[in-house]
This record gives sequence, C-alpha cells and structure tokens, in this order.
Amino acid sequence: MDSLGDTLWDVVICGTGLQQSLLALSLSRSSKSILHIDPNNYYGGADAAFSLQEAESWASSIAAGTDNDRGTFKSASTTKPDGNTGLSFPRAYSLALSPQLIHARSKLLSQLVSSRAYRQVEFLAVGSFFIFKPSTSSGQKPSLVRIPSTREDVFSTTAIPTKAKRGLMKFLKFVLNYDSEQRLATWQPYADGPLTDFLQWEFKMDAELQTYILTLTLSLDGLITTRDGLSTIYRHLTSMGVFGPGFAAVYPKWGGISEIAQVACRAGAVGGAVYMLATGIQEIETSGDNIELRLTSGDKVKTRLLVRNDENAEVGNGVSRLAAVVGSPLKPLFEALVEGAPLPAVAVISFPAGSLLTTAGKAYGYPVYVFAHSSDTGECPVGQSVLYLTTLTTPDSKEILTQSLQLLSEVIDADHLPPSLFQLYHEHGRGSVASRPDGSTFNFPDASLSLLFDDSTLEPVHEAWKQVMGETAVDTDYMTFPDREGIMDVEDMYD
Amino acid sequence: MASDDSLPTLKILLIGPSGAGKSALLTRYCDDEFDPESSTATIGIDFKIKKLAVRGKAYRLTLFDTAGQERFRTLSTSFYRGAHGVLLVYDISSRASFLTMERWFDEAEANTVEGIALYLVGAKLDKAESSREVSPEEGQALADAHGARFCEASAKTRVNVRRPFVDIVDQIVQTLGLLSGAGRTPGTVAVSGGGGGGYLSSCPC
Ligand SMILES: Nc1nc2c(ncn2[C@@H]2O[C@H](COP(=O)(O)OP(=O)(O)OP(=O)(O)O)[C@@H](O)[C@H]2O)c(=O)[nH]1
Ligand SMILES: [Mg+2]
Repeated sequence: MDSLGDTLWDVVICGTGLQQSLLALSLSRSSKSILHIDPNNYYGGADAAFSLQEAESWASSIAAGTDNDRGTFKSASTTKPDGNTGLSFPRAYSLALSPQLIHARSKLLSQLVSSRAYRQVEFLAVGSFFIFKPSTSSGQKPSLVRIPSTREDVFSTTAIPTKAKRGLMKFLKFVLNYDSEQRLATWQPYADGPLTDFLQWEFKMDAELQTYILTLTLSLDGLITTRDGLSTIYRHLTSMGVFGPGFAAVYPKWGGISEIAQVACRAGAVGGAVYMLATGIQEIETSGDNIELRLTSGDKVKTRLLVRNDENAEVGNGVSRLAAVVGSPLKPLFEALVEGAPLPAVAVISFPAGSLLTTAGKAYGYPVYVFAHSSDTGECPVGQSVLYLTTLTTPDSKEILTQSLQLLSEVIDADHLPPSLFQLYHEHGRGSVASRPDGSTFNFPDASLSLLFDDSTLEPVHEAWKQVMGETAVDTDYMTFPDREGIMDVEDMYD
Repeated sequence: MASDDSLPTLKILLIGPSGAGKSALLTRYCDDEFDPESSTATIGIDFKIKKLAVRGKAYRLTLFDTAGQERFRTLSTSFYRGAHGVLLVYDISSRASFLTMERWFDEAEANTVEGIALYLVGAKLDKAESSREVSPEEGQALADAHGARFCEASAKTRVNVRRPFVDIVDQIVQTLGLLSGAGRTPGTVAVSGGGGGGYLSSCPC
C-alpha cells in the first residue's frame, strides 16, 4: 500500500468511540476494505481513559477550544493540591471519562463473547450499592447504608423495618414477571409517569425505600419512567449471579468502555483494517456513488461509505463529572458479601435528590452518583482509589459534586482520608441520540450519558454493519466468529 | 492438537522502525519463508501462533507483528497489556533505524509492567560485510542499558532466527513472576459462562 488514495475503500470509519470500534470488530472477518481514523491521538472518543498527563492536556485542549469534539465537552479542568507527595507517576493512572457499568445480561457481553474479543478484556465485579444518609437534626451522623442485594440480605438487614421489607419483596417478585399480561395491567397506567409514583401507590413504599429502588436504576434526573425503571430493575435482578454469586454488573479493567473500544479496534487491525490516529476529515465531497475525503494528514481517499458521529447534532446540557484520585484504598466499600463472590472492584454510592444543599441553601433536586473504583481496576496504584461523581449539569452541579466528595470522605474514612490527590472535572453535553443514515454517510448518535450501559447503543452498530455488508449481510453471522488461530502446525523443540 | 488450548500462552510483541525486518524475521521463524523482493510495510497488526517447547515444556506463543511506519503507529495502551515479552528490532545496515531505538524502548517501558522480558534484535546480519552501520558492541550496550538481551540475526540466511524467540521464552519462563504477573487478577470475572443466577432464583414460592 503505497498510497491510501489508490484504494476505493468500502468504508471509512471516523472516530474510535465504542460504536465505531464495535463496527470495526463486526467487520474484522469480512473482506471489506476498511480505513479507520480518529482526529484524536487516543482511542475511545468520549469513552476514553487518560493517564494524568493525558487528562491535563485534554482539559487544556477543551479550555482552549482546540479539541475535536465540537463543543461536546465543556469546563474541563484538572487540579492537584500544592506540594502533594502521594501521587504516583502519571502513567500509573487511567481515568475513565464516562465510566459505565455493564449488566451481566447485557448484549454487549454476549457479543464480545461470540466475537471472541472478550479474551482480551478483564472484567471485574461491581459490588455494593450504597445510599448516603445526611446527618439529622437529632444528632445522627451522616452515614452510608448498603442496599440489600440478595433475598437473604433483604431478610437480614436491620436498615429496613419489617413491614417495609414485605413491600420490597412483593415489588421484587412483581418485577421478575413484570411483562406478564396480568402485571402489565397493573403498571400500564403508570408507564410514562415517574417510577416513584408507581412504587408509592402500588407498593406503599415510603420515600426512603423508593430511593433504594431508584438508585438501582442510576437514573440521572431521578425521574425515570415506570416503563424504563421496571425494565432496568428487571435486568438488574436477572443479572444477579449470572457470572458468579453476589453481583449483577461488571466493569472492564483499565478504564471501562475505553478498553473495549481498544480491543475492538485491535481486532479490526488484525483483520486488516488500516488505522490512523490524529487524523480527521478536512473536506468531504460526493462524487457519484462515492465520497471523496481530504484528511487532515493531506491524504485524499475515496470510499463507498463514511461512518462517523453526527457532526450537525446540537449539543445541550448533559452531565457534570468529577473524577478524584484519593489516597486511601477505601476497603470497607469493596467487601465481598456473599460466599464465593469475587472481590468487587467497583462500588456505587448515591446521594438521593434532596439530600444535598446548594450554597444558596436550597435542596438540590437531582441525585449525585458516585462510582468508587479500587486499585484492582488498574486505574490507580495500590493504596489509592478513584471516585467518579456524576450529576446532571446545572449552575450548581460543580459545587454540588465538590460538596459530595467532601461529605463522602467524611463518612467513609473520617480521620484518615487525605484530600484528593488529583481531580478532573468536566461537563459532557447531550448530543444526538439516534443514528442518521444519509446517503453514503452513516451518522452514529453521540456517546450515551447513561451510567449503565444501554443495549440500544448496539443497534446503530448493527445497522451500519448491514449498510457496509449490503447484500452479503447474513444476520446470523453478525459478531459471531471462531477463535483466530494462526498457523500452528510446526512444533519447535529446544532444550 | 486438542490440548493446545490448555498450553500456557505467552504474548510476545515485535516492535521497531519500518523496514527493520520484523515481518521478515517472524515469517522466517514461523513459516520458514523469506521474500527478498518484499516491500510491503505492515499496516495493521499481524498475528501468528506458534507452539514452542523450551526445557521440555510446551508453550503457545502468540506473536504480534506491528507496523513501524509512523502514520500507522496506532498501538493502543491496551495492546501492551498482558504482554510477556517485547522484541525490539532494528536494521544493522541502517544507522537511522538504530537511532530510533531509544524511543521504542521508551514506549515499551512506559506501557508494560516492570520486569517484562525485553529483547533487542539487530536484523539483516547477512549485510554485515557489505553495509554494516551499527556494530554489535553498540547493540549490546543499548540492550544492557535497558536490561534487555541482545543478538543479531538474518531472516535471509536463517542465522540466529530462532534464537531471539527461544531466548525470550526462556527468559519469561525462568522469571516465574512474569508468567503469573501478567495473568488475570483474582477478582476477575469469567463472562463466557454464566446463564444461571437471578435475584430470587432460590425463592421457592
Ligand atoms: N538482506 C536482508 N534483507 C532483509 C532481511 N529481513 C528483511 N529484509 C528486507 O527488508 C525489507 C523490510 O523488511 P520487513 O520485514 O517488511 O520490515 P518491517 O520491520 O516488518 O517493516 P514495517 O512492517 O514497515 O514495520 C524487506 O524488503 C525485506 O526483504 C534480512 O535478514 N536480510
Ligand atoms: Mg512489517
């Protein structure tokens, strides 16, 4: 290959976010010619994971407006307390921009298994979910209450009064059959209203119990509909124990979704796709059925199809995120509670809506979710942890996240938790949510802001795959590959 | 061959500047072929599997050949994960190729765990008489500076072709920690099985 311009590519994929990368994986055993580029010099797009140095330069490129993300990211900044000594070398960290938990029953996992890509990813168990309880006027100190995760747990917990337990068990049993005809009739009237209404009226749950259920959905505004809420809880419950006792979700080691994107791209590269990072599209011209692209590298290439993110989508307010490296292993958060369960590497903490006050003294109306990651995630050195805090973007969100971090350090480890060693704050805007095929261009939606991996992310990938494969597409072959075996008939002996 | 899957698998990467002779070395080692006319630069990642027995024990090598060309240098951080050894290859008949090796060592060291097996190979040894530009002493000194082993080899004449592969495997298996260290952590979850479970699966009602 002397020049990229000599080939008429079947597809040029621009960007290495999860969807583009999975597309590369899905095409990796086809005979299609694939050029995969990314204007960034790193993999993963909005799902990237950064070393501290990369995080700093990313934040300053956002601040300077020299990033490649058309305003998707805003207000990015990093902070390091002066003269701190606890931080290890920059490469010892891998901070995820948009960490997501993956339910055991997610189609993403079954596709990674059937495509054999899972062999290159290490998955870790997501353990307990906690609720933050603020101090009360009666002098009760702030605390974390663990949400019971198994049936035995529900029975043995002292955090829930017996009467409420009955309501909770009744609800959980309801969810397991929620799509049966009889049950449908019960929740249908509430379908598009908030889940909390349904919990209150049909199961007589008090506000506190409602937050237990709501937390399991990780609903960003706390207003998830009954329809979506039931389906999320259903998936949570049916995911429990699937890959081992005591956990319902997993998290890929070394930075989450970013790792999956990289592994998928590598499968693409092994399959013959040509990769170029730090190379974007400068100009697009349609010529007949094909598209001519001038790349920022100066190359001119021709392709039948261009797949990329929607460049025209507007970006609205999304979520604010704060990633903080703390100098403590936070051991109590990462205990295995069921016999034979793997040691969890991730814990979830929720500050329910109303549990935090803004500086103006008003109750903050949205939940704040915290993912605590132990050093087992490979995202920080042993003895440290990473806390990822997320809430909807509002004028108060930055301050609220800072406050949550402060409160958290007080409840988890009142005396010992040192101030965070490094912080990355940014706002991630909400872009397009649907794919948009447009002639010879296929536009993927923007990366999801959800904290739980949403299987609907996979649909546009399948659509794009069909468009590339055209008439040769055989749906049952999609993402289903044998292990890639090299030539291994020669045995070499050496003593 | 049914038991091959259960052999301990070692992941070994070949890196180095374009034209150094990585692909030629690997093709000679795995397929015993050499194409002097070949001018195809590797563009993605090539991947070969080979079974190798060292000290009476068999291993399954997964050998990753990468692109040296700057524009296709797109190895991700994740590419290096779990690697047991890295072969760094330069061309003894090109001073320029040797001069880039410091950078390749930097990249390998930055992305791998401490104690990983590094091996420096001076390729195209058959050109020593006619056009050598880097002395074996220089190669050895660079390798020493990075705690790597070193040899010179020729894919064309087969001289020393097996040596870097055999030596690096030997080094890996002797450093016991390398084998286990690059393996899975105890908390890791197997996602290929499953199918059971469910929150209330034990509920008799
Ligand atoms: N004389 C001689 N030529 C060699 C030898 N090994 C490789 N070559 C030649 O050197 C050129 C480059 O070799 P490759 O193996 O393709 O180089 P590479 O390191 O894989 O290069 P990239 O794929 O671009 O990173 C080819 O023309 C080979 O035929 C050797 O041992 N002796
Ligand atoms: Mg090559």
